[in-house]
Amino acid sequence: MYTLNVNGVTYQANVTDAETPLLWVLRDVLGLTGTKYGCGIEVCGACTVLIDGQVEHSCVFDVSSAVGKKIVTIEGLSATNSHPVQKAWIQCQVPQCGYCQSGMIMATEGARRAGHHGNEILPELKNVCVCGTYERIRRAVKTL
Amino acid sequence: MSCNHTADSAGQPVSPSGCSRRNFLVSVAGGLSIGFFLPDGGRMLEAATAPATEAQLNAWVRIGTDGKITLLFGGCEMGQGSMSGLSQILAEELMVDWNQLTIRPADADAKISYTTGGSSAVSRRYLPLRTAAATARELLVAAAMLTTGDTARGNYSAKSGVITRKDPVTGALQSWNYGSLALQAATPQAQALLPAVIPLTPPDQFRLIGKPLARPDIPPKTNGSALYGIDVFLPGMVFAVIKHCPTIGGTLALTPATPSGAIAVVPCFTPADRGAIAKNSFNAVAVVADNTWKAKKIAQGLKVQWALPASTASVDSASLVTLAKQLLETGQPIVAEPASAAPDPATLKTVLGSSAKSLEATFTVPHLAHATMEVLNCSVRPTHTAGVLTGLEIWAPTQSAMSVVATANVVAPSLTPAQITVHTTFLGGGLGRKIEQDYISQAVQIAVAVGRPVKLTWMREEDFGHDQYRPMAVIRVRAGLNATGGITAWWYRNVSPSILQQRGRAGLDSQAIEGSVRLPYTRAMSLTEWVPLPSGIPVGFWRSVGASINAFAVESMIDMLAIAAGRDPFVFRASLVSDPRYLDLLAAADAASSWRKTLPSNRAWGMAVAESFGTLVCEVIEISAPTAGAVVIHRVAAVVDCGTVINPDSVEAQIQGAIIHGLTAALWGEMKFVNGVASQGNFNRYRMMRLNETPTITVKVMTSANPPTGIGEPGVPPSAPALANAYSRLKKTRVTSLPLFPGTSMSGL
Repeated sequence: MYTLNVNGVTYQANVTDAETPLLWVLRDVLGLTGTKYGCGIEVCGACTVLIDGQVEHSCVFDVSSAVGKKIVTIEGLSATNSHPVQKAWIQCQVPQCGYCQSGMIMATEGARRAGHHGNEILPELKNVCVCGTYERIRRAVKTL
Repeated sequence: MSCNHTADSAGQPVSPSGCSRRNFLVSVAGGLSIGFFLPDGGRMLEAATAPATEAQLNAWVRIGTDGKITLLFGGCEMGQGSMSGLSQILAEELMVDWNQLTIRPADADAKISYTTGGSSAVSRRYLPLRTAAATARELLVAAAMLTTGDTARGNYSAKSGVITRKDPVTGALQSWNYGSLALQAATPQAQALLPAVIPLTPPDQFRLIGKPLARPDIPPKTNGSALYGIDVFLPGMVFAVIKHCPTIGGTLALTPATPSGAIAVVPCFTPADRGAIAKNSFNAVAVVADNTWKAKKIAQGLKVQWALPASTASVDSASLVTLAKQLLETGQPIVAEPASAAPDPATLKTVLGSSAKSLEATFTVPHLAHATMEVLNCSVRPTHTAGVLTGLEIWAPTQSAMSVVATANVVAPSLTPAQITVHTTFLGGGLGRKIEQDYISQAVQIAVAVGRPVKLTWMREEDFGHDQYRPMAVIRVRAGLNATGGITAWWYRNVSPSILQQRGRAGLDSQAIEGSVRLPYTRAMSLTEWVPLPSGIPVGFWRSVGASINAFAVESMIDMLAIAAGRDPFVFRASLVSDPRYLDLLAAADAASSWRKTLPSNRAWGMAVAESFGTLVCEVIEISAPTAGAVVIHRVAAVVDCGTVINPDSVEAQIQGAIIHGLTAALWGEMKFVNGVASQGNFNRYRMMRLNETPTITVKVMTSANPPTGIGEPGVPPSAPALANAYSRLKKTRVTSLPLFPGTSMSGL
């Protein structure tokens, strides 16, 4: 059992393996499925979350290491899409299939929290989008 | 329990409030919403059939007495935008506003469900859906007529979900919102008042078709609430992963005992013949546990005895290329042209030999993986009565819901199709892979075996290693030029594994020759041949299918001919084309890429044009190659003619995405098989384009009054040859083999 703080809510996560990646705890144990599985080897970025404000890839982040830290997932930005990154994404009609976009948005928010604005955010965005929405991500990021 | 809609003063539904994460109705700005069947404590939140307070006016349109307007969607939304596009078409003729709608994915139902593929969702449904929605609108008018007794259609108008009657004498106005007419509209009396010809809205009066409306599926994709197959979470659910025999064609020798920590180990058979994989053979085991990670860990450590095939030569990339090159010379070709139009090879040889210039090139393309961002997965809830299986409820990211019903019925033959319910979720990419049924069948097999709700997730390595791949191909093109740059002869021979033959269809494979027969270029004689390559590698439909292969060979050869003729590629193509659609497209692409005339000497440009799924696309690409083994793609100018445009913003998005998809494959895409085993298991060895590598892409959409044609795929085929043509000019060496940079890895984040 691990005590996790996700989006300001305290959860008791019933898992036994300390090395279980946070991704699978979020998805299969806590039911927070906005964070996506893409590669499991920290290459694609679909699982991006913020941990104590830092961009982390939850597919390789042990649940035991997340205890005592503040975890923010896509669900923690705004359920009503009122967060600036979400608004920019909708304004620029970025998503196609949308599967990578939770991670893309969290990576963008991580870059903003690290002090980057507008085009400075772009080099921080290395996540993979197979639909190829990058051109619209550029348009959206410009406004942030 | 259902989220209640409330009505505002205009009788229009407004966004529901207080829906929890697991509730079904995804509310979006302005009232437009998407309702999914989602489980909640084992109960469905909306009835599967229209309740008494809702009138089903046809397969696509339901009007509630509370004014709620529901449009049903019978396909799948995998990013291509057809959920939105089809709804725009329905809403146009129904005379309702974009923010008055609830869009609901339909459960599998022969009346409405269709297979999403061939870029056909909109093009095949444009007129049927307009007619259906216009008929529903006329039924509502008829209901108003029944109320007033005045059956003169000219006295009525429909707008924004309201029918208005203007009295011809007094000019007095009477109006009804659709909800108040809904039940009456569904009666035979209303049917009897329908006009013999249902009037359609003239295109110059379109309010929604042709407008860049915001897609209703986007807001749920920016807050984590969109339901993909992989997100289905059922009470009491267990989690499964699959472990296939790593060698294609191998089968399970012995089912392993259930290891400690696992709930079950279930042997799984495959539902169809695919290359070396035989239908009904057990080629995988599923490991079931209480979370996906645990199942994965147990599967990793599980020792499984496989019976391996005696030979894997047909599942080995190098062997297949060697065989294909032999068949290029010795194979028995199937001719694509009708016999009356096909010249004999001896004549062709003579003409080629006597032409002013004669060119020949052999092109090779590899197998490709689909690599959808969302791996294959499927969730199944079995229901039992007195210990006997009496139902299956399936949530699937599928391109073919009706196929899912059939697949499940094979696994559970004691059920009737009516006892099998299929809910189509959002797809995290489909690209043709999610038409297939292997993952669906496995999930049903597991659920039946363990007797409880289960979600099967393929780990990424299984997804790459057990795909149904875009076929490889070896293609030889011979062409002759006369002294004035005309094509004297064209002889095209494609050797490739057959997607359709692997699906039991003999003879010429229409998919294999797609994009190689009806070319726009005038050729004094042409012969298009296909030689099937016997291959054990499962092959399937990959975005744009055969056109992704053939456009590379065709447009590379056209570029070679332009160079040989000493002509500009635009001028050369235009000289060979008579179809005004192509000429207009070329002229627009010429104008859109005027930058190419002033490039610095270390840069080059290339172009290609291709037609697929009825749509013409021309792409012009600018590149440089600052270091060996790499290329920088600076920009792409694309021009598209897809007939009538439903949503120009969606068209732009699809072309942008398809270009990146095509360029990614042309640069790095390759699935290599060695002794029956797939070599690339994850994105680290299957490189995808990233944002910093993405060119600037401009998209010009031609104005057209023709019916709409496909848009999901047609941006792919021209991208590889346009890139190859640019690279060939930059390096002064013809590119004949894809990918440009094989064996490239992708770094971690």
